[in-house]
Amino acid sequence: MENNWNRPSDYTNQRDAFIGNLFKIAQKDKDVILISIDMGAAALDQWREELPDQFIWTGISEQHSINLAAGLAACGKKVYVYFMAAWSARCFEQIRYSCAMADNPITLLANGVALGYAPAGPAHETNDDIAYMRSLLGIEINCPASVTATEKLVEESYNNQRLRYVRLERHYDQRFDALDKTNTTGISTVKGGLFNNALKSDKTKSVIVSYGYMLGRCLDTWIKIMDDSNHEVTLMNMSVLKPNPITAKTFEGYDKIICVEEQTASGGFGSIVLEGLSDAGVKKDLLRITLPERYIFENGDRNYRLNNNGLSVDSIYNKVLDFVNED
Amino acid sequence: MTNSELEKIAKSVRKAIFTFKTMDGIGHLHSSLSPVDILVSLFYDKKTKFNHEEDLVIFGKAHGSPSIYPILADFGYFPKDELEKYCRPEGILRLHSDSSIPGCHFVGGSLGNGIGYASGVALANRDKNIYLIMGDAELYEGSVWESLMFINHHNLKNLRIIVDRNGLGTIGDTEKMLKLNPLDDKFKSFVGEAECIDGHDYTELRRVFSADSPQVVIANTIKGKGVSYMEGKWKYHTIVPKGEELIKQGLEDLS
Repeated sequence: MENNWNRPSDYTNQRDAFIGNLFKIAQKDKDVILISIDMGAAALDQWREELPDQFIWTGISEQHSINLAAGLAACGKKVYVYFMAAWSARCFEQIRYSCAMADNPITLLANGVALGYAPAGPAHETNDDIAYMRSLLGIEINCPASVTATEKLVEESYNNQRLRYVRLERHYDQRFDALDKTNTTGISTVKGGLFNNALKSDKTKSVIVSYGYMLGRCLDTWIKIMDDSNHEVTLMNMSVLKPNPITAKTFEGYDKIICVEEQTASGGFGSIVLEGLSDAGVKKDLLRITLPERYIFENGDRNYRLNNNGLSVDSIYNKVLDFVNED
Repeated sequence: MTNSELEKIAKSVRKAIFTFKTMDGIGHLHSSLSPVDILVSLFYDKKTKFNHEEDLVIFGKAHGSPSIYPILADFGYFPKDELEKYCRPEGILRLHSDSSIPGCHFVGGSLGNGIGYASGVALANRDKNIYLIMGDAELYEGSVWESLMFINHHNLKNLRIIVDRNGLGTIGDTEKMLKLNPLDDKFKSFVGEAECIDGHDYTELRRVFSADSPQVVIANTIKGKGVSYMEGKWKYHTIVPKGEELIKQGLEDLS
């Protein structure tokens, strides 16, 4: 069988990019263990065939799997647990108790975040995982926006073992593979506005900040604003949600901040930005554009659902303009 | 109704499932084909004790719950043209059934939770019979066994537990990946009664469903039943056949 997994350019999704790159590391380090909680993936087949002693399939048993991973980590193994993001709520106590509290570092590969599994329904879709996962003490939360960022995260997670929650997108906007190759360390500018482009007549200093899949929609919004309006905005990618990367300098020079997220407003991404600003002693006008405060029982794919729930490009555009036009 | 008449109905149900699942390629076709004979036995065989107007069917393995949609449509719970709108914005039928769909109960999609919910419904309605359809890989969830202890302690005999034992998880044979057997002994040790039967044999299904026991029916089934190239092939768990040839072959197998 042809081995396609040695060519990073072949990776078209974050899951295979992470697991495929980790495989290369695992070939050289027998302490790297991958636990799959009843998940399949093209990249897993190679693990099963070539590294059977480093691959553990635990069935649909999230709570046991996390405890097992914690035990392995306590014995010096470098453990990665691959599962569906929605089930992180199910083993929350085990992550808190056996990993965070007991200081057993494992990497959680949470696949299909937010509405990524649409139309599977709200049981499979996490419109709230950022809020509950970030309440865990000592955890790092990563939201790579691209395959290139995911690949960097593989190295980082291996070289610096700690409790990590890696939010993997089922689909991502491939423009970010080229736009942002260094976004694993916190917050970075994807597209400059006011400071990187010739200033138009507008005086507003605004910044849109987002992460993961929503960055694609924010990029389209950014293009629309730069093309169709008198305003100029900057687009930022916040790929690390915890520890909070925001400092007093992060939004220096900007008057208005717009947070766009594929979560509800309760304790999610926008809350992180607000807390970061507050802790840094910075006061700014801030708008949160989020999913509605409800579990979404609707048919339709992810894009349909986003469009139908206030996160279409037009809707984001209109909300941003209304906000930046406010006195 | 004779066994051959029931088999004919089952074939048409499978064909309907195959048709709406392959329409947009969404969902778990493989898992929806294995429990069809169980449902056809309950709904269509008058010799069973099941009464769809009074009893409840709850899916633990909600990814297989679309198997009930053609049957509910046939019994008038919703118009048959809803099948053609499966998972589409204008339709009511979802990938995982939920209580917004007439004839369906509980929010589906998270395994190992249906049994606890069903035990609550059974406790609150001791005069009502609850039929819980579980997947075998669902049994890996520890919550299942917590609920079984409760069900036994509170003597919830009105809760019939039917395990769709197709033998496959997402990436392989359960006995090769993580042993479940001896499954009947496990259930017996928790609730006292369990029996393995052929889940595609209407005589066997009639025998257990026309009686009050065993409480746990382990129905040995074939995942992807009826579609020759899918039967027992684990890789089809998340793959819905695409392409004219595969769809044509599937429809021919089910005709």
